[in-house]
Amino acid sequence: MAEVIQKKLQSELEKYQQLQKDVSKSMSARQKLEAQLTENNIVKEELTLLDIQNTVYKLIGPVLVKQDLDEAKATVSKRLEYINGEIQRYETLLKEMERKSEQHREVLSSLQQEYQRAQGQAVGKA
Amino acid sequence: MASLHDQMAATGKVKRNNDLPKGVERLKEEHRKVVKDCRSQIEHWKKVENDYESLQDRLRTLPDKLSYDITVPFGPLAFMPGKLVHTNELTVLLGDNWFAKCSAKQADALVEHRKKHVKNTLDDLQKVMKNFQNRADFTDDIEKLTGDTGDFVDIREEVINEEEVAKGKHRLAHKPHSNPKQEYLLELEEDEEKKEGDEERTTGVLSEEELWARLDELEREEELQDERYRLDSTDTNGEDTTSSSEEEKEADGGSSVQVNGHQNENGWVPSSITSQMNGTNGSHPEDEEEEDCDEEAGNGLPTIYFSHTAEFKKVRINTGKNTTLKFSERNEQKAQAKRKKKSGKSNGHSPHECYKITSPADIYRVFVDLVNGEPIPRKSILKSRSRENSVCSDTSESSTADFEERRAVFGRSWSHDDATHSDTSDGITEEESPTGMSPRTNGRFEAFTGTVIEKDPLPCSIPHLTIAAPALPTIPERKLEEVGPEAPQEPPKRMSKFKATRLHQK
Repeated sequence: MAEVIQKKLQSELEKYQQLQKDVSKSMSARQKLEAQLTENNIVKEELTLLDIQNTVYKLIGPVLVKQDLDEAKATVSKRLEYINGEIQRYETLLKEMERKSEQHREVLSSLQQEYQRAQGQAVGKA
Repeated sequence: MASLHDQMAATGKVKRNNDLPKGVERLKEEHRKVVKDCRSQIEHWKKVENDYESLQDRLRTLPDKLSYDITVPFGPLAFMPGKLVHTNELTVLLGDNWFAKCSAKQADALVEHRKKHVKNTLDDLQKVMKNFQNRADFTDDIEKLTGDTGDFVDIREEVINEEEVAKGKHRLAHKPHSNPKQEYLLELEEDEEKKEGDEERTTGVLSEEELWARLDELEREEELQDERYRLDSTDTNGEDTTSSSEEEKEADGGSSVQVNGHQNENGWVPSSITSQMNGTNGSHPEDEEEEDCDEEAGNGLPTIYFSHTAEFKKVRINTGKNTTLKFSERNEQKAQAKRKKKSGKSNGHSPHECYKITSPADIYRVFVDLVNGEPIPRKSILKSRSRENSVCSDTSESSTADFEERRAVFGRSWSHDDATHSDTSDGITEEESPTGMSPRTNGRFEAFTGTVIEKDPLPCSIPHLTIAAPALPTIPERKLEEVGPEAPQEPPKRMSKFKATRLHQK
């Protein structure tokens, strides 16, 4: 009996650890997105500071490609929206994972209790 | 795997034992970590800011020359002499792989804009750091508090619910939304649903307690307001009430439960209770005190002896419906009046300060009427005949009939040969007071400028009204007042000074 519980406990533990890893991954991805968000915000603001005379380039690989100022502004705005959307997605994902990990935690604790009880019984028997 | 579980069990047990200090340690560690992180981040951003500053300097000087002779790095190891041309044309990285060609000044503007961002970040970091620093300090303090060697001691008093909260009859709430019955209901609920979630129960009880506490607070505030209002509006009314209240208070030693059920005065009333008890149980301490006073002052001044009579209960009941309120108010008013007098006296009364004032009784000793050059103690320092001659007294505009009666009886029972009231009332023109004082007192107190008409003095049903020096004159007056007609007692207190003068002049 104790061994069965032990095995169950083990599997649960692994699942929980896996879930925790996913959570941390999503967290780091979200942080990256946030950094990009702030950066793009700054770019947008700085683009507004420039005037049409300045030529804007975009670095694609090793090449600096000339861009139109307005085009650049539009591109940056689109990118900003995209980043915001991604952040939202990650938020929901994180919440979901958090909930699941909570469930797993409860299962783990209950299993642990069972195991301890079983151990106690085993000791009593023995 | 068994070892893991054993470890878990073991750690669980250990945690239970040393939970608090370990927890605190852990908390402090986390705080310190955050603070350290913040510090390092702040350093980083400060460096960035400095870099931007130097960049700006460079940008400003760069377009000064058309070309500069420089040593150009050539690969990782070599340099080559070269020239820096197109000094005003800069390609600026805007971020996220975006570049822009701009002049030095435009680049300067961009740098300025970035610096703003850096500053904001720095400020945020500073705030966070301060916040966590405070938290860490707070946890330190808490640790000290709960630790053995803390300077602070937690003083607890186990309250046996309803008994201690209200001595005697539990007061009904004056506020509409507070329902006294609620409490009993709640208790019942508690009994019935003991197995219900602790949180629910505790929150229910807390809310009740909170309500009561809030009620008490509000009541206290209200009373203080009323008291202040009364004092402001009619000084003498306050005086009367205070004097009467004091008498009440002293008379209250016997029953006292009801009066002292006044929750607000809980801290204050008990002291008064003890004083009352002392007074009533034997009027011995008081009598002794009086005697002492007499001894001290008895050289030239007549002494006034005073003892409590058995009329106490009657006195208390007769004071009116709202006994508790009035009681406390009057007490406070009286205390205030006394304080006023004391302060008033002490302000300008230095010449009379031959008597050392250590108790309220001493005040009265100093209040003397100079009649024909002889110092005669005033019957009451609450009343004064004329403004100019009053010594630190609040004139009693509402010196109503009762007052006269009181004074009459007072005068009669006075051991001093001070004849009729009329004499005393009219004749005690206080030429005594140092003129310096009167203007001051005039400014402070309202003066009674009407004529005083004596009414028939009450038959002195109270056999022994020996009044001792100061505070005491008022007390027997009050008692008389109680014993006498009760009806006029209520209105006079509330009568305005104009009405009072009208009455007198009738």
